[in-house]
Amino acid sequence: MNLRINPIIKKDLQVTVRNMRFSWALFAYEGVLALAFLMALAVIKEENSGIYGSTNFYSELIYLFPIIGIVQVCIVTLIVPIITASAISGEKERQTFDIMLTTCMSPFTIVVGKVFSAVLRILFFVAAGMPVMALSFVVGGLNWSNLFYFVLTIILLSVLSGSIGIFCSSFCRRSIAAVIFSYAWYFVIYIMTFVPSIMRRLWWEETSMGETMLFWLFNPIIFFEEFFMQMMTGESLFGTQGSRFTRNEVGDYTYYLSQGKEWLFLSAACILLMSVLFMYVAAWKVNPMHSFTIKLRKIKH
Amino acid sequence: MLYIENLTKQYGSFTAVKNLTLHIPEGDLFGFVGPNGAGKTTTIRIVCGLLKASSGSVRIGESQAPIGSKEMKRQIGYVPDFFGVYDNLKVREYMDLYGSMYGMRSRDIEKISDDLLELVNLSDKKEFYVDTLSRGMKQRLCVARALLHNPKLLILDEPSSGLDPRARVEMKELLKNLHTMGKTIVISSHILSELSEMCTSIGIMNHGELAASGRIEDIMTQIAGGRRIHIQVASNMETAVRVAKEQAGVTVESVRENEMIIINNKTDEQISMFIGQLIQNQVVLTGFFREEGSLESLFMQLTGEEEV
Repeated sequence: MNLRINPIIKKDLQVTVRNMRFSWALFAYEGVLALAFLMALAVIKEENSGIYGSTNFYSELIYLFPIIGIVQVCIVTLIVPIITASAISGEKERQTFDIMLTTCMSPFTIVVGKVFSAVLRILFFVAAGMPVMALSFVVGGLNWSNLFYFVLTIILLSVLSGSIGIFCSSFCRRSIAAVIFSYAWYFVIYIMTFVPSIMRRLWWEETSMGETMLFWLFNPIIFFEEFFMQMMTGESLFGTQGSRFTRNEVGDYTYYLSQGKEWLFLSAACILLMSVLFMYVAAWKVNPMHSFTIKLRKIKH
Repeated sequence: MLYIENLTKQYGSFTAVKNLTLHIPEGDLFGFVGPNGAGKTTTIRIVCGLLKASSGSVRIGESQAPIGSKEMKRQIGYVPDFFGVYDNLKVREYMDLYGSMYGMRSRDIEKISDDLLELVNLSDKKEFYVDTLSRGMKQRLCVARALLHNPKLLILDEPSSGLDPRARVEMKELLKNLHTMGKTIVISSHILSELSEMCTSIGIMNHGELAASGRIEDIMTQIAGGRRIHIQVASNMETAVRVAKEQAGVTVESVRENEMIIINNKTDEQISMFIGQLIQNQVVLTGFFREEGSLESLFMQLTGEEEV
């Protein structure tokens, strides 16, 4: 079998790791994680000090896992668009993109190469953050399979963030515009997916959010909340005892989906599907044979 | 080798290339000239699959592959006017990157790269970072990169722009060598003297249309209605003019004190006989020569003396 690494991934990694900025970024990442770990430790210790709380201290350390995890998720969410949003526009600025398009690589392979080179770079960060994560495991009492699942979710999030970045990069000439455009898409995916449910609760004054909650399947915030809930308690976010939303609130669809790990897998599939869609549109946009332009007519005063 | 049929590219109401039909034979070194905005780069970008044509077709050899297809891309090596660099990438890695992009195996890339780098005189720079090379070296590296997959057609868009005189000479020599090796080369340039020295044929574009194409001498003959011959006469100019006017296919363009310029469509043998006739008629000649085609004058004539 002839296995070939995507040349763009190889080139991007070669170029990145030789740059001193990458080492500094890793150092900064480690620093932020360590700081978050120490702060979380201090807060947990503070909250469990005294007569009534002292016995809970060790069991409370399990919260180090979601805290460190969420910090990593936030950093990854913020970093990946910066990497990929400049992927295509950066190549265009350097005037290397045309040469790339004249080779035998299809636009989709170029786009996938760019996204996965960003994912691999993120994995460097995740790997570098392992010692800190391992500390939260040692004192938090979680097992190693949780760490493995966490890495998988980080990869999924990187693919989504990377595909949003590359999508925006294919539409913008300037890297900075692509980064801003990427964060605008974040707003749509992270915030606007709540809007139908909020509207249903507030405007129609219904108790159940019903089918509108299915939009939440596309929301990485909910995905990670469900992930951490499942990892730590084995329960779902929706409709189970002690969870955030009652059965009545989430409606039947969501309730049945959340009985096992179905919601989590379905949400992962939706996020992956959304990523592939972003990559396809980006590939279509950069393909000179299919490219379209949005014509803006000048308004004459 | 390269067949362009009725190629048109429109941007809204502006037509960048208008019904361009061009055939470049195999092994030709074809110079593509024209003023700024004439449509040269647009044509090149369409052929390379970087731009979608509004209508028309492009074919390389017998292949019926559509523009932008993998098959078509395999047959073209493209050298753009600007050399973009990646920081922190060595010359060897740069070649390896583009070889991989053409689906070549690492072993083959290494072997061919060595040969090509030797051809472009960059063998000793293999371990150098690309961004540390001079502009001329980068341009030669770009040519080596474009030849990596052994394309049938090499297209260079303004390869000498921004190069110092030495780098230009080196580039010219490189292209001449490649032509000798049998490569079909299309080169777009503003440096007409350079093109006239090395190109076997040219195409002159103006306002999106092909004003003329073929060998420079042929175009000159076509444009001027024949070849221009300067005949230097020491005495008996009236007789010389009369004899010239009696000849079929000869037009007297101008007569000065000691020189007569004629335009004719005769063969070299017929010209010799005509010169003999002048001597028989007691015309004293001090010399005669055929005017060589100048690409500059031809260009100015065809493009209405626009900015080059």
